[in-house]
Amino acid sequence: MASNEYVIPEHYEDLTPAPQLDQKTLNKMAWRSCFLQASFNYERMQAAGWLYSIIPGLEKIHTNKNDLAASMSHNLEFFNTHPFLVTFVMGIVLSLEQNKVDIPTIRAVRVAAMGPLGGIGDALFWLTLVPITAGITSNMAINGNAAAPIIFLVIFNVVQFALRFWLMNWSYKLGTSAIDALTANMQAFTRAASIMGVFVVGCLVVTMGGTQINLQIPNGTTRGLSATTVIVSEKEAENFTGMEGIDTETAEAGTIAMTDEDGNALTASDADGNAVECGVTDLGNGMESVTYGTVTEDPVNFSVADTLNTIVPKLVPLMLTLLLYYMFAKHSWTPTKGILLLFVLGILGAGPLGLWPSIW
Amino acid sequence: MEYTIFQVALVFIVTFVAAIDQFNFLESLYQPIVTGAVIGLILGDLNTGLLVGGTYQLMTIGNMPIGGAQPPNAVIGGIMAAILAIATGLEPNAAVGLAIPFALLGQLGVTLVFTLMSPLMSSADNMAHNADTKGIERLNYFAMALLGLIFAVVVTLFFIAGATIGQTIASAIPTWLQTGLSAAGGMMRFVGFAVLLKVMMNRDMWGFFFMGFGLALITVANDSLATPALLILALIGFGIAFWDFQQQTELKGAAVSDGGDFEDGI
Repeated sequence: MASNEYVIPEHYEDLTPAPQLDQKTLNKMAWRSCFLQASFNYERMQAAGWLYSIIPGLEKIHTNKNDLAASMSHNLEFFNTHPFLVTFVMGIVLSLEQNKVDIPTIRAVRVAAMGPLGGIGDALFWLTLVPITAGITSNMAINGNAAAPIIFLVIFNVVQFALRFWLMNWSYKLGTSAIDALTANMQAFTRAASIMGVFVVGCLVVTMGGTQINLQIPNGTTRGLSATTVIVSEKEAENFTGMEGIDTETAEAGTIAMTDEDGNALTASDADGNAVECGVTDLGNGMESVTYGTVTEDPVNFSVADTLNTIVPKLVPLMLTLLLYYMFAKHSWTPTKGILLLFVLGILGAGPLGLWPSIW
Repeated sequence: MEYTIFQVALVFIVTFVAAIDQFNFLESLYQPIVTGAVIGLILGDLNTGLLVGGTYQLMTIGNMPIGGAQPPNAVIGGIMAAILAIATGLEPNAAVGLAIPFALLGQLGVTLVFTLMSPLMSSADNMAHNADTKGIERLNYFAMALLGLIFAVVVTLFFIAGATIGQTIASAIPTWLQTGLSAAGGMMRFVGFAVLLKVMMNRDMWGFFFMGFGLALITVANDSLATPALLILALIGFGIAFWDFQQQTELKGAAVSDGGDFEDGI
């Protein structure tokens, strides 16, 4: 304790149970619980905010000033729970305070109740409600829908305040027995919430993960013969028929020919990709239709993205998520370290100073 | 881009409220999806505000104050991303990437405030020993106002500076850096996902993660389901989780039933 002279007593002076707290006081405290973290600090965390929240109830319960001081003092000890579920702890603690239970008992119940709620609240709010509502409304916002922030706020706060007020009343009525009710199913509940949580994260990797390696690797060239058909006079046609035969495998791109080295007619492909035999057709009016082939050489690109997608779409987001998970879980990386890693990765991948082509 | 005194004042007020709201009050007003739109309205470009807010929000999903950890500060990050995008015309992902250093700065600032607030507790003790309820109330109000003020001053300074030099910065950024920032900004959400996994994952839960991944791939492949995909998937996930809860509680049998009140004869 910071104070040397003040010692928190074990029992209250006035041991007569106080009258039930009225609905107005309960609601007032539920409202005040929104400011649980007002004076958050690393020494006592939410302690002063917790005390602030329950002051209306304590004032009603402890009409004896010494008891009020004792109650306030022990309620200013280290406190940390989930900010949205705190009213559950408030209800229980106040039902104990009202019955003037021993201070060590109240302290033990308070500590017992605040711990597990953190995990449940995280699972419920940060891991389920926020990812789902914010995920859906973010997409709406990106599409320019101005209602998105409002929808997010409405859903989030309806759930939040319904829980705050309902838990306050429910746990105050249940008193200590509520702890048993909760702890009986606590493990199963936390497990179910976690299952839903990891399931949703798996979904988010797909729906939100847009990272793709858009790198095209040059992978040689393809050679081909493209067919061209022209109508020329008989005289001009001789220029074509007189052309030397070529080896299509070695001839330079742009070379025109109708026959191969052995004098056989070439087969070229026309604009629609159909095979056409090169040759000359007499149209009978002094004109001839000449079909010749042009050697083409097109660069072929190997698309990293297409290849990865044939393994499984969204492979890059999945791998990045798993890599980060591995670093966080097995190497105790902080999220900040992960952010820095992605920063470096993003910038290196973009080819800093034009040193290499961007992969993004 | 020049801003009026009125706009500067509004940014100050929005930041003040958002800074307090990140730990208190509605604890949702501070989310980038909200602040992005509000900053957009103030600066006269709601659409960009929405776009950047939504993009930043995706990054912060999961990157929340879980287990008391301080993530990069979404208040400063979200507001600065919107300001930068509107002032410089940067592409949203790039603006988000550029705002990250500010968010990290904010994270540092919050840690500092939480540390500096610790000595206040001994004066709170004295108030409690004397049953000084008003003192405890004042102390909490003071602490909130202090946090809001620090944030508001810092962001407003960045905002004013950004308004004059923002354009210069944007044009000075080479293309590769913009691409890189943009790619990094788009990847930041994976940090959030990984943190969520770390908190929730047990050895026997990987199956549920991959099931979500697989089902989502199928769902988004159908264009008509792309928008409601997450909601549909959440329903499936809920079904699985609920079923598991029933399995777990029924297996435990009688030990559980004394917590609830079951009617006779059932």
